[in-house]
Amino acid sequence: MAAPDTARLVMGTKLATALLPFFCGLLGVLISNLPVTLLGGVVPPPLLGFIPIYFWCLVRPDLMTPAATFAIGILQDVMAGGPPGIWTLAFVVSYAVIQRQRDAFAGLSGVAAVLGFATATLIVCAVAYGTTTAYFLRIAPLGPIVGELAITVLFYVPGAFVIGGVHRRLVGPLRTDF
Amino acid sequence: MANNTWKIARRSNTQLPLVIVLALAVVLVLLGKAQSGLFDRARMTITDWLAPTLVSVHAPVQAFNRWVGSIDDLFNVYKENLALKDENARLRQWRNVAVVMQGRVSHYQDMLHAVPDPDVNSVLAQVIGRASRPFLQTMILGAGEANNVKPGEAVVDPRGMIGRIYLAGDHTSWVILLTDLNSRIPVNIASADGKAQSLQAIMTGDNTPMPALDTLSQLVTLHPGDQVVSSGDGGLLPPGLSIGTVVGTPGDYRVSLLADPSSSEDVEVLGFRRPPEAAPAIPSSQLPALAAGLPPAAPPAPAPPPSLPVLPATKPTSAPPALESGDRDD
Repeated sequence: MAAPDTARLVMGTKLATALLPFFCGLLGVLISNLPVTLLGGVVPPPLLGFIPIYFWCLVRPDLMTPAATFAIGILQDVMAGGPPGIWTLAFVVSYAVIQRQRDAFAGLSGVAAVLGFATATLIVCAVAYGTTTAYFLRIAPLGPIVGELAITVLFYVPGAFVIGGVHRRLVGPLRTDF
Repeated sequence: MANNTWKIARRSNTQLPLVIVLALAVVLVLLGKAQSGLFDRARMTITDWLAPTLVSVHAPVQAFNRWVGSIDDLFNVYKENLALKDENARLRQWRNVAVVMQGRVSHYQDMLHAVPDPDVNSVLAQVIGRASRPFLQTMILGAGEANNVKPGEAVVDPRGMIGRIYLAGDHTSWVILLTDLNSRIPVNIASADGKAQSLQAIMTGDNTPMPALDTLSQLVTLHPGDQVVSSGDGGLLPPGLSIGTVVGTPGDYRVSLLADPSSSEDVEVLGFRRPPEAAPAIPSSQLPALAAGLPPAAPPAPAPPPSLPVLPATKPTSAPPALESGDRDD
């Protein structure tokens, strides 16, 4: 009886670990969308939910699937309070671009890696801005979305450090099983 | 990228799901445009659920914000103190004027038997959260439908109007600020000197600190300092709520808001419902029958002449002969 239980436990642990990228995305969305503004709202909140999407789309796209990206985008839409579907569409479009250019993005390192993330975030922000403009039928101001882009890129360096640690310790060893 | 191991991860075959998910995302946007009720309910459920946490987190965050703000103030204390003393003296003068005017208005209202303004119920609410995002500027209040807060109601602080209730949950509600991209408020603009007639406009937010004044004629000239108040058009907001003052140049007039949502702690939600106005009674003879393509209404039958004393029937002798025969020679 011990062997099947152990196997079930191992399988359950592996499944939970495989869902870790998705949960990291959800956690990032929850943290960044807490209705708490520091510095009087001058600095917009970063898109923390997009950092895991970008990271694991490059590293383990089998664990960060389009469906997971879609779900993270929906939570971002619900929490952000803006027009529904804007961030979902932006995340999914950016995911599609990253996946098509995966080899180019994954080959970057150092400052170039940050620039690669900046390019992906630029796509997210551009899609969100364009969709919002079409949604309201009026030109939205560029300043806030540029601020969002800048602060998200700034948060990528510590965010990637944390996510890299999670990946090395928990997700990486699962490569052969999932 | 230790040992270059991340690059050799297996590539998932996700082209088909990606296309499906892309299509779903587009459908979601279109669906959200047509009907956003589902998202709104989800937002309010999550916010109600987070409310206790937000209340706990609010105090230290507010203290931190106050501390950060005070660093800048330290360098301007002396100058600001002088400015405040000057402003205080001017406000005392205005207070005297206001007291005199209030007495005069009350006197006129008594003389005219004026109908009093409709009652405005207010709910005091604490700000438990704020969010400034690229496409939404909002604050979250610790009062909801359980406190009779309803969507559309005005939110004010002691300085002026802040915004309107956007979503109301059981115990929390979201406020759409006047500066938000979605905000449109009908306003009246009164000249600062009180000589010119007040103008009407729509104040639209664009995520900048000063909302724009739209639907103004190009010929209209406003002056910096002109007062902007809510007009009450539409019956949702009470008329006369202080909003701000006009700034800017012709073609780009904007409103400098009196209230500062980033520092408001306690606000009031005004429950205002204008009673339906009774249409004035229109006599049936004035109904637009002709406009509706109907034959004109028959003229009312002449009222019977007042009863006169009956005289003997005698032929008048003074009538001109031409009129008698019906011929005219002119």
